[in-house]
Amino acid sequence: MTAQEVSLLGVASYLPEKVVTNDFFAPGASLRRGMFTAPTSRRHVARDESAAEMIEHASARLFEQLGSKAVSEVDLLFTNVSVPDQAFTGCGAEVAYKIGVRPRRIIDLHNSGCVAFIYMLDLARELLSSGSARAALLCNVQNAAGRIFSDPGIRGKSQAPVPGDGCGVGYVALGSASPILSLVQHCQPEYASDMVACADDGRRYWEPGTSPLSIRFTETRVASIIERGNRIVPQVVSEACRAAGLRAQDIELLITNQPNPIFLRNWREALELSKERHHDTFDQYGNLFGAAIPINLEDALAHGKLPHGGIVALGGFSHAGDYAAAAILRWGSP
Amino acid sequence: MKTIDAAALADIPGLIRCEEFDREALAEHITEMTHTVYPHEQVYGRYCTVHAHIDCPPEKVFAYMANPYSLMEWTYSVRDLVPTMQSGVLRGVDSGQTPIYCRTVTNQEALTVDYHCAWDQGDELWMVYLNRIVPAETVLKTPGSVVIWTNCRHPYYEKNPFPALNHDPDREWVGDWWPLFYAGHSIELQNLKAILEYRHRSGLPLGPRLREVST
Repeated sequence: MTAQEVSLLGVASYLPEKVVTNDFFAPGASLRRGMFTAPTSRRHVARDESAAEMIEHASARLFEQLGSKAVSEVDLLFTNVSVPDQAFTGCGAEVAYKIGVRPRRIIDLHNSGCVAFIYMLDLARELLSSGSARAALLCNVQNAAGRIFSDPGIRGKSQAPVPGDGCGVGYVALGSASPILSLVQHCQPEYASDMVACADDGRRYWEPGTSPLSIRFTETRVASIIERGNRIVPQVVSEACRAAGLRAQDIELLITNQPNPIFLRNWREALELSKERHHDTFDQYGNLFGAAIPINLEDALAHGKLPHGGIVALGGFSHAGDYAAAAILRWGSP
Repeated sequence: MKTIDAAALADIPGLIRCEEFDREALAEHITEMTHTVYPHEQVYGRYCTVHAHIDCPPEKVFAYMANPYSLMEWTYSVRDLVPTMQSGVLRGVDSGQTPIYCRTVTNQEALTVDYHCAWDQGDELWMVYLNRIVPAETVLKTPGSVVIWTNCRHPYYEKNPFPALNHDPDREWVGDWWPLFYAGHSIELQNLKAILEYRHRSGLPLGPRLREVST
């Protein structure tokens, strides 16, 4: 073991109780295909269910696996929440209080969206290998489905059935148990303005009004966003493989974000990986945004996808392509 | 203004037209159709089309391609073309010592040059190379020509229909190479481009440069 090796030691998830089926949305939602293919079901957060509580539930499951010593070594706490509990601050401090840790640094991220888990993994790796921390807790919450897409004014729209809520957390520490072999990120700021939060009446989200808030791509860009999404994820995963001295065919388990089944199909086709090696939970949980990667990794492990450990690739892109990232891990035997 | 008789289309299944397929339905359909990568077989399995921009005026490209003897310059292996008893059909050798027969069918107005060829015999010319020359000014707003070359997988590619005419036991059948035709056609199209661009740029006669040899 080299002193600088950093490992992802565990992941755990929490899914809100409320299961929402397609009859909640516009008639014919379940017949939609393409970018707005509806999952069979998804979860929605309850109105009073906070992101901090979701992280608390997922962390409790994670620390059941890892033990109380792991709790005491959390020197870094990262959060990424799609619809933050409060307008002015992230929920990291509240999380720390709820789960009983006193980290040296709390970082509430509000960028890197659907690849925030990889982005946080990179930051954790840097800080841990510099020796300034012992372990990091990475927390992803997707709660836009219940908070935004369940609104009576929004739920009839074609994109409303696609998102689903959930929370995934991961624990990162120095060591060679399940080391990060490579991590590649691309920041493509020219795409940052291609996704917008908007209300039909044109109000800003902080302005009072009754028109519900929604999130959408700017109309003229949809075709180029599809092309971009199709291309950048296989590209960044391939780059991460090369950086680890591996080929894409060496990937035993590919875990990505899950915007829709078309992207999932296209990514694994481009990497020449079978469906069995690319584990997703889209049909059950919908688009989990940034929480998809830890939730899908936990789900894959629970389904016995890596009985003896092996090469795991994490990859995805955020928003309209402003970030793309991939990491290769050698998952250790359980 | 003309309008169509909608009843004339009503019985034809599988049409995708805006009257029945709104933009949202179309978007779903085209998104599903669009992949990141396509297997070679899916793209080039039945039809093989290659294209190139050639920096040489379309009428000059047409004149060069319409002269079948140019094939001896720009193809990889068609050589020694001579007239046969059949009007318009030339015989040469391809791939070593295989006899190849070729009839060139052109349309100057449409700028098309089609080579109808076959190995071993000249009666059924089934290897058909369809070429269309398009003024690049029209389609790319740039001088020169776009050449589009399409080959369709005739069933004879699968199996030599006249095996008795082959006298070389070591010869591989032309159709066995179909999976490599994208590469092979691309190489020859690049030859065509290089020859024409060099001569046009240098102000030389475009050719083909032929000289008589005693037989």
